[in-house]
Amino acid sequence: MTGRKFDETLYDAWCQQFRVDEVLFEVKTGHQQLVIFRNGLFGRVMALDGIIQTTEADEFIYHEMLTHVPLFAHPAPRKVLIVGGGDGGILREVCRHTAVESITMVEIDQAVVEMAKEYFPNHSAGAFDDPRLNLVIDDGAAFVANTAEKFDVIISDSTDPIGPGEALFTKDFYTACHDCLNPGGIMVAQNGVAFMQPDEVSTTAARMAPVFADYHFYQVAVPTYVGGVMTLAWASDDATLRQQAREVIAARYAASGIKTRYYNPGMHVGAFNLPQYILDSLAG
Amino acid sequence: MTNLVKVSPAADAERYRTLIRESGYSPLLLLDCERLRFQYRSLAAALPGVELFYAIKSLPNLDVLRVLAEEGAGFDMATSAEAEMLREVAVSPRRTIHTHPIKRPRDIIDALRYGCTTFVVDNPDEIAKFLPYRSRASLLLRVSFRSPSAKVDLSRKFGCAPGEVPALLAEADRLGIQVKGLSFHVGSQSGDSAQHVKAIETCNQLIRERRASGGAPLSLLDIGGGFPASYTLGEVDIDAYCAPIRAALAQLPDSVSVLAEPGRFLSAPSMTGVCTVMGRALRDGRYWYYFDDGVYGSYSGQMFDHTHYPLEVFSDSAERIPSVLSGPTCDSIDVIAEDLSLPELQIGDLLVGHCMGAYTAATATDFNGFPRARIVVVNQHQDAALTG
Repeated sequence: MTGRKFDETLYDAWCQQFRVDEVLFEVKTGHQQLVIFRNGLFGRVMALDGIIQTTEADEFIYHEMLTHVPLFAHPAPRKVLIVGGGDGGILREVCRHTAVESITMVEIDQAVVEMAKEYFPNHSAGAFDDPRLNLVIDDGAAFVANTAEKFDVIISDSTDPIGPGEALFTKDFYTACHDCLNPGGIMVAQNGVAFMQPDEVSTTAARMAPVFADYHFYQVAVPTYVGGVMTLAWASDDATLRQQAREVIAARYAASGIKTRYYNPGMHVGAFNLPQYILDSLAG
Repeated sequence: MTNLVKVSPAADAERYRTLIRESGYSPLLLLDCERLRFQYRSLAAALPGVELFYAIKSLPNLDVLRVLAEEGAGFDMATSAEAEMLREVAVSPRRTIHTHPIKRPRDIIDALRYGCTTFVVDNPDEIAKFLPYRSRASLLLRVSFRSPSAKVDLSRKFGCAPGEVPALLAEADRLGIQVKGLSFHVGSQSGDSAQHVKAIETCNQLIRERRASGGAPLSLLDIGGGFPASYTLGEVDIDAYCAPIRAALAQLPDSVSVLAEPGRFLSAPSMTGVCTVMGRALRDGRYWYYFDDGVYGSYSGQMFDHTHYPLEVFSDSAERIPSVLSGPTCDSIDVIAEDLSLPELQIGDLLVGHCMGAYTAATATDFNGFPRARIVVVNQHQDAALTG
């Protein structure tokens, strides 16, 4: 039995391989290669340039942690900005916070949104129709540099820095995000798998240090982002926001009525504890 | 260095004339996919167990890539533009290596984005460029073996001396950068495979020394290209050429896998040039024929690649006149061949250049506004001969 296989092309020495049960969509757009296929274990899988972006089975882990940690850490998030996140997974989780009044989502490629609605409808679960949403098709880095709006939480849901998401890992981007946060605002960002890309932690830390009074990382274990825990970057001018008691988070979580499958107040508080090798990278 | 010129019966020109008529264009380069498949299979048979990675630079053409991908080839690329071609043909990037020893940061990022994770380096500065990508990429150290007999000595410009290998490996180890093997390129068109054999033997020794030192093993040997094409209308006995190489490879430790980067051997015999006499003039007793292709076009390899292609003209006349075959541009260097004795050619007659696949179209220019030859694909599908 051979059949078609998908080999992820992240690492020369090692890769995860998926059995491709059915190719649903395959396109080369500009300088990118996008493929969506079905796999027995992970359901629908999307890969961009040979790298897994999202799967139906495990997407909730990443989307819950990148969304609910900042939104429950902030005492009253009303305005949220999502940069990237064209598949709608972050948007879906943000929409579940009924106290959020407005959501701006800046995605560089309208086609990603349309493709995700068609092939990954459960990622957005109708969230693209939420009246609080202002969907902007634009370069996220340019948007934050130019907007006059202020936000309570900014979530950067980007691709890998070796890829189209490159501009969302720069000091300029972090500075622009800082400048469009309200006082007490929080920024979070996808930051790679630290065991495999230790430099991404030290590089992000070095770029955030001059911009935010407080920065750190928190961890999440996503099965298809292989190689150990993934780090999510955290930045704010208020260091107490990532050091809140579990009871405080638990009260907000309970009050929201939101049901989650990975996130809970214990995971929230615990996620800021990092393995020593990540702390060592963080220290430079 | 002169071109071999064959005079064939006028009737033999008919099939070329038909192709020009059908395409409505001259000059043409005829890409014969069946010949390309034959070349690939011949080399694969002569080098069993060696993975063949086509050197795209010799003839960067999507149809060539498609045919070779179907045959199971991997690809040797050197630039972001070549990565784009591979993406176009949907070649799995795990079957590619990036072989340019000197890379801009953008080249590394573009190759990684495409999914190519094997890179060639030959010096400490280049090793250090991989520090940010050390978990993603693996490197091959390119070792230099000077080849005085090769027409194109590729070890002059790139490659470290064998004696430098241990220090470079130690430097990579210190930085936590993976070196998984060695590569070399002995240069092309050397008369025999003695240089290959010497290089394999030295690499074998370096690989064994590395093992003995307890360092991470070198598990891949890239023996480069340099497999010859015949520019005298003959055939290369590739099996005989490779026999000493096979014997040398058999001495490698079992854990070492081998790949080669054939370019010329695959592409050269697969393409034939056809161009047309645009005008002629009798000057000092010699007939000057001006063709619509020349050294700024498909015959650019006569300048850059030091290659003179075997030519064919068509006539039933027994008379011979001193002749010069010239390209179309205003530059006097644009002469394909002179000091020839040929039958008289008429305006509209054809000149055919054989073995014109490698470093021809690849290095053609648009100088003087003369358009490049158009590539016409023949025998595209394997079963074409069977199904008619």
